[in-house]
Formats: sequence, C-alpha cells, structure tokens
Amino acid sequence: MEALLQFAPMQSSVDEGFWHRLSSLKLNKLGIDDSPIPLFGFYAPCSHSQVSNHLTVLAESLPSELSEASLIPEPSRGNRNRCSVPGILYNTNTVESFHALDKSDLLKKEAAKIWDDILTGKAVEDCSVLSTFLVISFADLKKWTFNYWFAFPALMLDPPATVVNLKPASQWFSAAEAESLSAACNEWRSSKSKTDVPFFLVTIDPNSRATVRLLKDWEACQSNAHKILFGFYDPCHLPNNPGWPLRNFLALISARWNLNSVQFFCYRENRGFADMRLSLVGEALITVPQGWKDTVPSAVGWELNKGRKAPRCISLAQSMDPTRLAISAADLNLKLMRWRALPSLNLNALSSMKCLLLGAGTLGCQVARMLMAWGVRKITLVDNGRVAMSNPLRQSLYTLDDCLNGGEFKATAAVESLKRIFPAVEAEGIVMAIPMPGHPVQSQEQDSVLDDCKRLCDLIDAHDSVFLLTDTRESRWLPTLLCANTNKITVTAALGFDSFLVMRHGAGPLSADMPVNNANGKHRLGCYFCNDVVAPTDSTSNRTLDQQCTVTRPGLAPIASALAVELLVGILHHPQGIFAEGDINNSVTGATEQPLGILPHQIRGSLSQFSQMTLIGYSSSSCTACSHTVVSEYRNQGMEFILQAINYPTFLEDVTGLTELMKSATSLSLDWDKEIDEEEDCVEIQ
Amino acid sequence: MPRVCNRRGMDLKDDAVKGIVPWDGTLSSFDFSLSAHTFSDKWKRFNPSFPAWQWITCPKQHHLVASHKVEGYLSLENMCHIKSSQSLQEQESDRSLTWKEESNISQREEPFDKATLVCPEHEVNHYDFHIVYSASYRVPVLYFRSYRSDGQLLPFNEIEKDLPGHSAKLRSESKWTFITHEEHPYLNRPWYKLHPCGTSDWMKLLFHSDSSLNKNGFVIEQYLISWFSVIGQVVGLKIPLEMLDTVVSNDS
Repeated sequence: MEALLQFAPMQSSVDEGFWHRLSSLKLNKLGIDDSPIPLFGFYAPCSHSQVSNHLTVLAESLPSELSEASLIPEPSRGNRNRCSVPGILYNTNTVESFHALDKSDLLKKEAAKIWDDILTGKAVEDCSVLSTFLVISFADLKKWTFNYWFAFPALMLDPPATVVNLKPASQWFSAAEAESLSAACNEWRSSKSKTDVPFFLVTIDPNSRATVRLLKDWEACQSNAHKILFGFYDPCHLPNNPGWPLRNFLALISARWNLNSVQFFCYRENRGFADMRLSLVGEALITVPQGWKDTVPSAVGWELNKGRKAPRCISLAQSMDPTRLAISAADLNLKLMRWRALPSLNLNALSSMKCLLLGAGTLGCQVARMLMAWGVRKITLVDNGRVAMSNPLRQSLYTLDDCLNGGEFKATAAVESLKRIFPAVEAEGIVMAIPMPGHPVQSQEQDSVLDDCKRLCDLIDAHDSVFLLTDTRESRWLPTLLCANTNKITVTAALGFDSFLVMRHGAGPLSADMPVNNANGKHRLGCYFCNDVVAPTDSTSNRTLDQQCTVTRPGLAPIASALAVELLVGILHHPQGIFAEGDINNSVTGATEQPLGILPHQIRGSLSQFSQMTLIGYSSSSCTACSHTVVSEYRNQGMEFILQAINYPTFLEDVTGLTELMKSATSLSLDWDKEIDEEEDCVEIQ
Repeated sequence: MPRVCNRRGMDLKDDAVKGIVPWDGTLSSFDFSLSAHTFSDKWKRFNPSFPAWQWITCPKQHHLVASHKVEGYLSLENMCHIKSSQSLQEQESDRSLTWKEESNISQREEPFDKATLVCPEHEVNHYDFHIVYSASYRVPVLYFRSYRSDGQLLPFNEIEKDLPGHSAKLRSESKWTFITHEEHPYLNRPWYKLHPCGTSDWMKLLFHSDSSLNKNGFVIEQYLISWFSVIGQVVGLKIPLEMLDTVVSNDS
C-alpha cells in the first residue's frame, strides 16, 4: 500500500527572553542596521504523546550585546534538549518594510544554501544545517509588540515521495531489535558529543544488534550488508506522519547516495528515553527524474498561523512596558499591606480620590509624594511661584534644572517630576495665585482676581479633598471658606521654625447631611482659623526676612507632610469620614476600633522638644472662615463678599463680631480655656 | 559579616533541631539546596510520569554578602496543559481579529505542496515552575509562568482557567497563598509567584502538628517536600503520597 508521504510542519516557539534580548540588541548595539543576524534555534525529539516539540528560540539564540564585535552567537553544545539549528533573522526597522520583504526570494536563498550544503557534503559533516530556518520580524519597541514569521525551508521532491509500511518502530522491529535499538539510542542521547546530533544512521546486524552511527559512516557500513535505516530526531508526535526534518534528509539521501528506497526512523522519546511505540519506521519511495540535481529544487516552509498564511504578532507590554511594571509594583506594595496588616484598606477609595494641593513648596512636594505612595493617582497642584535656586534642597520634586533660565513654574515642574517618579499618575499643574483677604487689589486687577476666585471655586468643586499647604495664613482663608461651603475634606499643614500644626477641618456649618447633634451633642470640629481671634491680614509686608521666607528646620516639612497624608487616609477609612469626632491619643488603652488607629483633629509637634501631641479644637461661632455667619454671607453675596474681604482688612472681623469681641477683650481680663491657651503657644507662621 | 551569615545559616538550624530555640519555620540557603536535591531525587523516583526538577546553578548575584556558596534554583519546565477543543475554537475567533490573511503570498510566493500535512494542533498551554530561595524571607518561593505554544505569555486570568477548582478556594481562604506578578530574581523578567510572606508561619504549624516530621535532621531535608505538598496544590501540582510517606518511614 503506497501513499503520499506527508510531513507535519515544524512549529516555532519564541521564548519571551528572545524578544528581550532582541530589543536590547536593537537599542544598544544594532541601531538602524538591519542586516541579517545569524542565530540559533533549538529543538529536541518529541517527548509527549500528544504534543509536538517546537523549534524554540530564546535569549541564548542571539548574540549577547556584550560580546565583541562579532555578532555570531556560539551555540552551547551537549544539551540533550537543545539540539542547535542555525538560522537567520531579518529584523526590519518599520512595519512597512516587514510586509515588503520578498518572502519567496528569502526562502529560495535559504533553500539554495541548504542545497549547496547537501551537494558539497557539508550537510553530512554538520547535519544541523539541514534544518536551517529563517525568521523575519519587526520589533515595535515603543509598544513592545513583535511581528514575526518563521520559515523552515524544505526542498521539494518532484514528484513527491510516497511511503509504504509506516508503523510504530515497536511493530516494525523484532522485540530483540527494538530493545537493542532503544539501548543504542539511549547511549547516543547520553553521549555529550552526540546527544545534539539530530540525524544519524541505524544499522542492525543479523544478530539483531543495533548500532547508531554518524552520517559520514555511510560508506563504511555498506560493506557489512546490514539493515540500514536513516534516523532523525522527530519533533512531531503524530502516529501517521513524520516530522519536517525528514524532508531535507530525504533530499540529502537521494542527492548524495542516489537511493530510491529509504527506510527512515522517526526517533521519539518518553520521559527522556527512547520510546519505540511513539517512534515510527517507514519506507520512503523516491522517484526523482534524471538530472534533477542540476537545479535547486523548489522549496516551501513559511509557517502557518492557525492554518492561514499570515505573520504572527506577540505583545509583551505586560512584561516590558516600564509604566505597566511600575503600576503593578506599586499596586503590589499596597496590596501586600492590605493582605498582611490592613484587610480593610480601601485601595479603590485612594486611587479614585482627586486631591487638590494648594501650594507646591516644601509641603506640597512632600505631600504629593506621600499621596502617590498611598496609591492616590489623581493630584492637582496649584502654585504661582517659580522654582528658585534655593528650592531643590528642601522641595523634593525639583532639581537644579528646574531653576535655570528664571525657573520653571513650580506647578508645571512638580507635575513633570511626579510623572517621572510614577508615569501612571494623573497629575495636573495650575499656575495661579490664591486671592487673599487684607491684600487690597487695584480696580483694574479686580476682574482677574475674581477670575482666580471662581477658578479656585471650580477646582475645589472638582476635587474630593483639599490640602492647604501655602506659606501664609491669609492664603488659606478663601480655600477654607470654599471647602466649608462645599463640605470638602480639608487638611492643613503649617510650619513654624521648629514646630508644626497638622489638622483636618471639621464639616461645613451648613452641610445638610451632618448627623443630628453630631454623636454626643458636641460641636463640629474647627478649621484652621477657628482658634484665631483676628482675621487673616497681610502677614508678609511687615515681616523681617526670616519670618517671611521658609525658615524652618529642614526635617519639619517632611514630618508634617507625612502626618497630613496619614490624616487624610484616616479620614477616608473612618466610617463617619469628615464628620468623625476628634480622637485624643490614649496611651492608657492604646487600643482603638479603627484598623488605622485613632483619628485626631489636630497634631502639633515641636522639633525642639521632639514631641508631638494630639488636640481637639471645636469650631468657633465667630470664625472668619467657617462660621455659619461667614458661610451664609458668602452664599448670599458670592464674589462681592469675597471682594470686600480682600479689600477691607477689618471687614471679616466686623462681620463675625470679632471687632466687638476684641473691644471687650481689652477691657476685661478673659479667663481663657486651658486648652486654647496651650494651642496659642504653638504659633505657626507660614 | 560572613561570620554573621554563617551563624544564621548553620547554628540556627542546629539550635532548632536540638530544641533550644523554637524553630521559626525558615531555612538557610545551604539547607535550601540540600533540601532541593532531596526533593528532586524523590520526585524523580515517585513521579516518573512528570518531567524532572532540575537544579539550575546561577552565578552569585547578591554582592552585599560575600560568599563562595553557589546559588541556584529548582526548575520544572514545559509541563503541558492540553486545552479542550471548545476553548480552542474560542481562541480561534479571538485571534482572527489580529491578522488578516496575506493572500498575495499564497499563490505568488509559495508553490502548493501536497507533501505538507495540514492538521490543526491541540492548543497547549505550557507551564514552567521554578523554586527559588528568598534570602529575605528565608523560605522557598514558587515562581511560575505559562505560555502558548508560540511563546505568547498568558495573563493570570487565562492561567486561572487551567488551575484546579480547589486552587481558587485555597487562595481565597488562606491569606498566605496569594499570587503576585514580580520580577524573577535570576531571569529579571516578571513571573507569577506565590508570595512568601506567610510561608514560615504555616511551615512551622505544619511541622509542629506532625511530630513524626519534627525529629532530628529530617526537618530540613524534608522541608521542600512538605512545603510543596501545600504550595503545589495552588498551581495544580500534586505530590505523590509516597513522597510524603517516606518522610515517616525513613524516620521510624
């Protein structure tokens, strides 16, 4: 029974490491040089009854970029699972030239090389050239995608070979022969010099003794008139078809030894040993016409992609895109924290929260960094200053480059810096001044100041939480009022020379969803201005230099910033959120219901004492920023109210009755509450 | 510095075995390689239908600690998971979107060839497993990756479909067996791993709950076998019972 001999095509498998090395070769060594690169692929006999072995390329297939001028990789020999096969890689610089490559011509060229090696006898000496392969590729290094196409050139016999008697080796051979052959193959496979020689001869003498020999011994074994089979490592697992390497082997056998009938042996393994039930033996009948050797036979061999003639495309963005890697690494840190210590940690609340940072100086820079570390991804920075030469040392987002040529705007430079630190951050910088009460404006500037007010108002509306990190008291007034009006989470950090205040503002006075009587009938918590008995005025014009500039102990800002961020995280995780009562550090019990610990209202610290304390201050009915009166007036009058506050230094005090209070205070000796007294000691001038 | 390392590496183990200091569930890198060899020998003996675990030696990478010890890890590569034909069809439709057939090549560039077998292959997912020692946790860590036959790596949601049902249960119930995507310490490419932060704790429990394990010398040698009997389940690799049995029989 004679049938057409059909070969299972070789299949390619590309290890991730191959693309990594190709990328770094391309970037660091080759540049736009697109000349073909010699490489090695590896294959082994099939070792699984249902899965064929693939020709694999991996990092070691390519020359290392560190290797000397030569771009020729050295194959490692002696690995039984890695028979090396030479190949050539055409890596193009554009996707257009990838598609424009003349695939037919490339295949012909490789086929001609194989044919030449057959005719000269080189293929007998080094049989790996029979399986020479070819790859074309385009590496899109910006998207980490790789288009590629393998070809395994196979010389066609015309007419094609037919086969008789194809069956498992265990049935073809006698039991004694099969046993002897298994042993001989296992010996061959465990010999360091032969294990990766994929084509060989099998002779079986009349005593059923099998021997495996190199191809070059063909003439020598003729005289002994044994059974001779042509063996090869068969990567294919199919029970009725030999694998691809047999094609060029048959061409070699026919061209070199003029055989018309070839007994072939498809060597396959199981668990690393010869398996005669998986291995096949058959007899190929070749009927090529006279003189066929005069021209190079036609060749086929472009690998199909799922049955179609199309290139393959692989994406390694998941393992190569630094942005993705940074995101997954950052997420991992936070997830570990949740898994290990804080199961209730709400990472979604953090990553979806929009934070507005007013001020991008020492505090703003540090707060932004800490927020990112906690997984906050949406950060807007507002500042109208430029980066000065003195800034980079204390303001951790800037470097000297930002100071050159007059200095970048801090808001802009900070955003760029944040993106360099973590590319997935959604940061925005807004260059604008915050209008301040008691800083009168000329009538021609009035419109632009009003614009700034509206803009700030819109910004606060658009964010979920606001940090007040500017360096003057009065610049915090308008945002405090606006946050009180819209009931936004607000955190203030302020610095003295060696003392700091970090606090969260209480809920706004008009917030509708405020819990009735706020738990124990207590007041709502105060804002930054609640403990002051004077309205914010111009604090910069009459100050000496050391009071005006940021003269603080350098360690202070990072401490305060970190506390400010931790405070925000605490609010987010508290069931009452902005309405949460202020906790006081309770060193007696130490225990707390919340997984993140207590949620204080104010933290005041002093570096001179290396001390820190938690305090509570309730809202004041005469507060110039968050009192019912002020917020109601703002609601009624809107921008007009703000304009008056800006232009008339005593306006706010008049509105809130502070002027009255001050008058009476000078005539009476007031019995100050002890708690307020303490707080008065910690004056922050920033 | 090296003295301190040696102390950590050797003395602790001895102390633990003698019962002077309660054993903390960790092992030194020296003991790791010792235990790894025991593990791969036993695996070969009792699990012959699977590929063998190979010890891969690596050049020393941690420059902080001067040491002449050879580092390495255990590797089991190319485990095949053959997909059912149904999911193969799903993939076909997924992938057909990526490339249109280049019709121009079919006639012009390549002659039709009757000798080429046209036969769809099974879709196979290949798995590689590495057991790497973590110097910071002082425990073994299982790294793994999966790829299609052409080399395309599988994302975790694809891998999950291959994992046995009890893996998801194990991972959701135990907070010590979560899977993360991190850089492989020797290959410097991201692999999946079972995070080691709880390993020493449950190893300690495992040993203490079974007094037969907790006898001289055997603790360390059998470490990897016991460890893998738990960890392997998460990725669907079962350990033959005989491997565990010999722990007891050798002991008695």
